[in-house]
Amino acid sequence: MIYLQILVNGLVLGGLYACIAVGFSLVWGVLNVINILHGTFVVLGSYIAYFAYVRLGIHPYFSIALAGAVLFAVGYAIQAGLINRVIGAPVLTTLVLTFGLDLILNNATLVAFSADYRTVQLAHPLGSKVVGGIVLPLDRVVAMLLALALTGLLYLVLVRSRIGRAIVAVRMDAEAAALMGVNVKRVYAITFGLGALMAGAAGSLLSLIFPISPLASTEYLSLAFVVCVLGGLGSILGAMVGGLALGIIQSFGALLIGPQHGLTVSFGLLILLLIFRPTGLMGKRGYE
Amino acid sequence: MAFTKGSSRLWGLGLGLVMAAAVSTASTAQEVIRIGAPLPLTGPLSPEGVKQQRGYNLWAKAANAKGGITAGGKTYKVEIVYVDYESNTPRAVQSAERLITSDKVNFLFSPFGSGAAKAASSVSERYRIPTIAATASSVEVYDQGYKYLFGTFTPNDTLTNPLADIVSKSGQNVKTIAIYARNDLFPRAIAKEMEKSAKARGIEVVSFDEYAIGTMDHASALTLMLQRKPDWVFGTGYINDLILMRRQMADLGVKPKVLTMIAGPAYQEFIDATGPLAQNISSAAWWHPAVAYNGTDIFGKTADYVAAFQAEYKSVPDYAEASASAAGAILQMAIAKAGTIDPEKVRDALASLDVTTFYGPVRFGPTGQIVSLEPPAFQIQDGKAKVFYPAAVKQTDLQFGIAR
Repeated sequence: MIYLQILVNGLVLGGLYACIAVGFSLVWGVLNVINILHGTFVVLGSYIAYFAYVRLGIHPYFSIALAGAVLFAVGYAIQAGLINRVIGAPVLTTLVLTFGLDLILNNATLVAFSADYRTVQLAHPLGSKVVGGIVLPLDRVVAMLLALALTGLLYLVLVRSRIGRAIVAVRMDAEAAALMGVNVKRVYAITFGLGALMAGAAGSLLSLIFPISPLASTEYLSLAFVVCVLGGLGSILGAMVGGLALGIIQSFGALLIGPQHGLTVSFGLLILLLIFRPTGLMGKRGYE
Repeated sequence: MAFTKGSSRLWGLGLGLVMAAAVSTASTAQEVIRIGAPLPLTGPLSPEGVKQQRGYNLWAKAANAKGGITAGGKTYKVEIVYVDYESNTPRAVQSAERLITSDKVNFLFSPFGSGAAKAASSVSERYRIPTIAATASSVEVYDQGYKYLFGTFTPNDTLTNPLADIVSKSGQNVKTIAIYARNDLFPRAIAKEMEKSAKARGIEVVSFDEYAIGTMDHASALTLMLQRKPDWVFGTGYINDLILMRRQMADLGVKPKVLTMIAGPAYQEFIDATGPLAQNISSAAWWHPAVAYNGTDIFGKTADYVAAFQAEYKSVPDYAEASASAAGAILQMAIAKAGTIDPEKVRDALASLDVTTFYGPVRFGPTGQIVSLEPPAFQIQDGKAKVFYPAAVKQTDLQFGIAR
């Protein structure tokens, strides 16, 4: 029974991990940009949810839309105004640019919100439900389901919509896409905006679970890295599988070897994977 | 030729000395005591670093408002030189060295926590700079045989022993304890002390688990804990760990008779962030605004210190802030007692100090760690931290059971 409970814990955690990572994966896969800003985007999403709840009484489940929209605009502006200028340059150039931007943005959030930890305390939390001896923390479960639904929605956008097809086309061959009349720079900006939107939405959901502070951004960023490498870079399915796998591995690692080794186990596995299967669990690149 | 060159060098040296003397004479009107304070003002420990800075600043402001520190007929303005070491311990050590060698500070306040204070203490010892650690409690910091290091926190067992005593004698049938600690110097050290304190009183330790720094999920450990049904849960870590831990305990339905957490509940921020879940969480710290001492230091009565702090920062001081202010007040008393800012004499004055401050009675043991404090234990009741130990400042009795 305890194994089932740990599996549920791991799945709930993993769904949230997937949502944190998917935007990061999208940007990396399509733009070949390692977006160091991603963690701070997640934190900004959490703050939007926090203030929306405290000031306006909007439940974080619903402030996903608000956080997503704001972060989309921020992401679009950053890509169109700054990153597009160096987009063809080697990956290190864009890495340094996003790293520098993150220093500025993260310290700005520190100045604006201070390093104090805040939490969203729901007036009517859903509490926990025991089903067949398994404890389900309902707010977490709903957040996880929403996270997975959002990830699925992003997948649908990419495969069904016109802009989605354009993103995939640019991902496959930017020059050919340009010849077919796709405005590549605009597609880049939209993709980066979508990545930021997913980060904001994830942040909004996470505001229910983790203490909110600008200091959390590095943790979110390193999680996104691990999930991407674990699942396979650049595909939504990869981020989903990577996130769920990481959640489950961490949970069982903590159970079987001890809580102090939950992180060791997941990073150890990561190294093994990098050696023996560097393309990740899903082993396929791209958004075809 | 060689002679001329040499003599001109000598002349130059002489001129330099004369000028240096002139400059130092000119500055006697504005003598300054410089105290170096490496702090984690950014990075993960920044909430703690900022607290310490507030404590120091309040003391410096109070001292300077009275004209400065008087010693041997001279008055000195207090100037604290801060360096942000970005929560990076090796950088804290470098900062301490830089403060001593290039900023020429007279005294040093240690960086945050036991680990960094211990690391930096070797530097101040080498340069023979009297150093006060405001937030280092572990005995390992002080048992290095150093002469220049003093600390305002008593050993960790002075926190855990009273808790274990009160709980074991409560008649509430608390037989088992589960200990869950952050794998970090202080949180781990205090958990180890709790283990000893509990065992010594016949409370069975059903589990002792550690979690890694940066852990974002406690579900597995808490699920295991749920199965062992401990009467008492003792969790250690810093504020963000403990907020997450408390929330997940509620999620998974871990509901012991006693829940003790160190070190977070002493901060109002923790109470705000956990809301109703904070109810009946017990804790202990080296100081609490409810204690009442009649100090002979610059702040005087404990209540006066609290009022001064509130006037400055619009919030109630916690133990870390008070300890930082106390470090300054204690240094000031030692300088006044020594009648000079000579480091050797101030060091001796610190070692033999026996005074009462707003923070409590101050007497340092042979290792330099304070031995005179009786740290209060308290419990969060209806959104407020209330002291249940020691008897002299007691506001309430320990309540059993926690919110959901």
